[in-house]
Amino acid sequence: MAAIGAMVKNKFVILCVDDEENPLVLRKFLLQKAGYEVITAKSGLEALKIASSEAIDLVLSDHLMPGITGTELALQMKLEHPKLPVVLLSGMNEIPTGADAADLFLSKVEGPDRLCQEIAAVLNGSPRGTI
Amino acid sequence: MGAQQSVNILMVDDQPGKLLSYEAILNPLGENLIKANSGREALECLLKTDIAVVLMDVSMPDIDGFQLADMIREHPRFQRTAIIFISAVHLTDVDRLKGYERGAVDYISVPVIPELLRAKVSVFAELYRKNQQLESLNRELEQRVLERTEELRESEAQFRSLANSIPQLAWMADSKGNIFWYNQRWYDYTGTTSDDVRDSDWKMFFHPDHVDRVGESLEHSWNTGQPWEDTFPLRGKDGTYRWFLSRAVPICDAIGNIVRWFGTNTDITERKQAEEALVKSERFAAMGRLAGIIAHEINNPLEAISNAFFLLRDHPSLDEEARYYAKLAAEELSRIAHITRQTLSFYRESQRPVPVSLSEILDNVIELQSRRLRLNGISVDKRYRSSAVIQGFPVELKQVLLNIIGNAVQAMPQGGRLRVQLFQSRERRTGREGMRISVYDTGDGIQPEHAKKIFEPFFSTKETKGTGLGLWISKGIIQKYEGSIRFRSMRLGKGHLTCFSVFIPAAIVPQTTPAAATQFA
Repeated sequence: MAAIGAMVKNKFVILCVDDEENPLVLRKFLLQKAGYEVITAKSGLEALKIASSEAIDLVLSDHLMPGITGTELALQMKLEHPKLPVVLLSGMNEIPTGADAADLFLSKVEGPDRLCQEIAAVLNGSPRGTI
Repeated sequence: MGAQQSVNILMVDDQPGKLLSYEAILNPLGENLIKANSGREALECLLKTDIAVVLMDVSMPDIDGFQLADMIREHPRFQRTAIIFISAVHLTDVDRLKGYERGAVDYISVPVIPELLRAKVSVFAELYRKNQQLESLNRELEQRVLERTEELRESEAQFRSLANSIPQLAWMADSKGNIFWYNQRWYDYTGTTSDDVRDSDWKMFFHPDHVDRVGESLEHSWNTGQPWEDTFPLRGKDGTYRWFLSRAVPICDAIGNIVRWFGTNTDITERKQAEEALVKSERFAAMGRLAGIIAHEINNPLEAISNAFFLLRDHPSLDEEARYYAKLAAEELSRIAHITRQTLSFYRESQRPVPVSLSEILDNVIELQSRRLRLNGISVDKRYRSSAVIQGFPVELKQVLLNIIGNAVQAMPQGGRLRVQLFQSRERRTGREGMRISVYDTGDGIQPEHAKKIFEPFFSTKETKGTGLGLWISKGIIQKYEGSIRFRSMRLGKGHLTCFSVFIPAAIVPQTTPAAATQFA
């Protein structure tokens, strides 16, 4: 699946990270419907592995995950791929420390429309958004 | 008393020969024998020496025996001096003897029988000696009483200064629980004097809600002799109540009977307030944690379901009816999203405080409310007297003002006046310079019973419309600026005038990043 995404050059490729199956799949379908290629990873480590071998345009990750968290993933991604945008999603009501590492920190309650808008804005090189 | 002391015997006679014979008779008694040749000489001797017995001849030239006895008796010092007359027995003499009502008086008729004289003198000498011993014992006892009294007075003074130096109110009660003494602190605290409370019941200073309960626990201790302890408020001289931990212990005599009670009242108001504040802050923290858990547990599935319905809504395989159901479900889901966004969501702001114009934020907030202001028929009176800029986070400050102004607008569904003031001010309590924003409305007012709870989480008067978190969160935000938020509500004509006032110190820059936030519902 990863190979297919990398080969289609006219679409942005999003690496979608979440430890929970249902939200991950639904988010993938949503992003595909919005016109993106989607590669999924079930942990931060898996995401780092994929990012080192595939051409990725944006990482969209849940924050609270077992193993490395979203903010830790963002920090590591920025070290390995400084230009790769990272968007974090969270269901928590507090912005965790280290959220600065990501380009955008978004609440899950904002809904599908807003998520797609923000991702488009980040991919189009908009300055760091504020929600 | 040690060995028998000899006493003085005064012998008075104008005839030296008789004196010599008396001396010979009395010598064996071992007393001091003093001779006087006349009444005058006898008086001189009496004034100089303590005399136990006067032995005198009735018939003497210048002053006779009876005259001398009268003189002796007049003097208070000699009223108990024994007098023995030596005389030929005349009836008239015996009658005169009866005239001496007080003191020991006796007579010996002539011719003198030596044994009789010796016996009589000996009895009187002994009586005198015993009297002297008694007196000396008395004096000693009196001295001891004086010393003990002084000791008691000193110990009493020490007790009082101790009782007045302790920070507690202190008192003493008799065995039946009647208080007969209070320390100075009691009088200072209650604003009474010892005269005021002498006959009054100290229960008059109890908080009315506690009189019965505390009265019972006191009664129980008075009856059983068990130490007493209770916690209840006592009224101070300014009419306010403070909490006291009160204790009383029985003081017993040598055989274990309670003679009195010693009691203290320790002011624990501050401790109690600190404990309550701790409980409250723990409750708030617990609520914060709970909100975090709920947020996480609701928001995660909510996102998935929202995405699912987003995909389902326009799915080509659905017929119109199914699509309609999906649309309804998506709409209801957006309601859940709305409430969690308002209560449990966060707002991202810049990490550092930036210059904020409060007047701009106020204009912005009033603009947001413009539709409702127009619909409700509310007139707006803006009075900005400062264009000063403070350092802060604009979104959270906007949130505070949106809460306060939004509440004011909601309190006036039938119209009214909204006044918004902004001015530079000095906080009266601390003297700090800063900005004050006051929002007045002529709406429903705030019920006195709600006044204490208004800043508590989940307190709302708007039933289903409000989350009950707006003012709680606003207060938290203002506290981050080390500012204060307070309100007053009073009757004005037929309605109410309510004012919410926010003070933000000018020099304070909040250091923490914004946390949980909500928008006015």
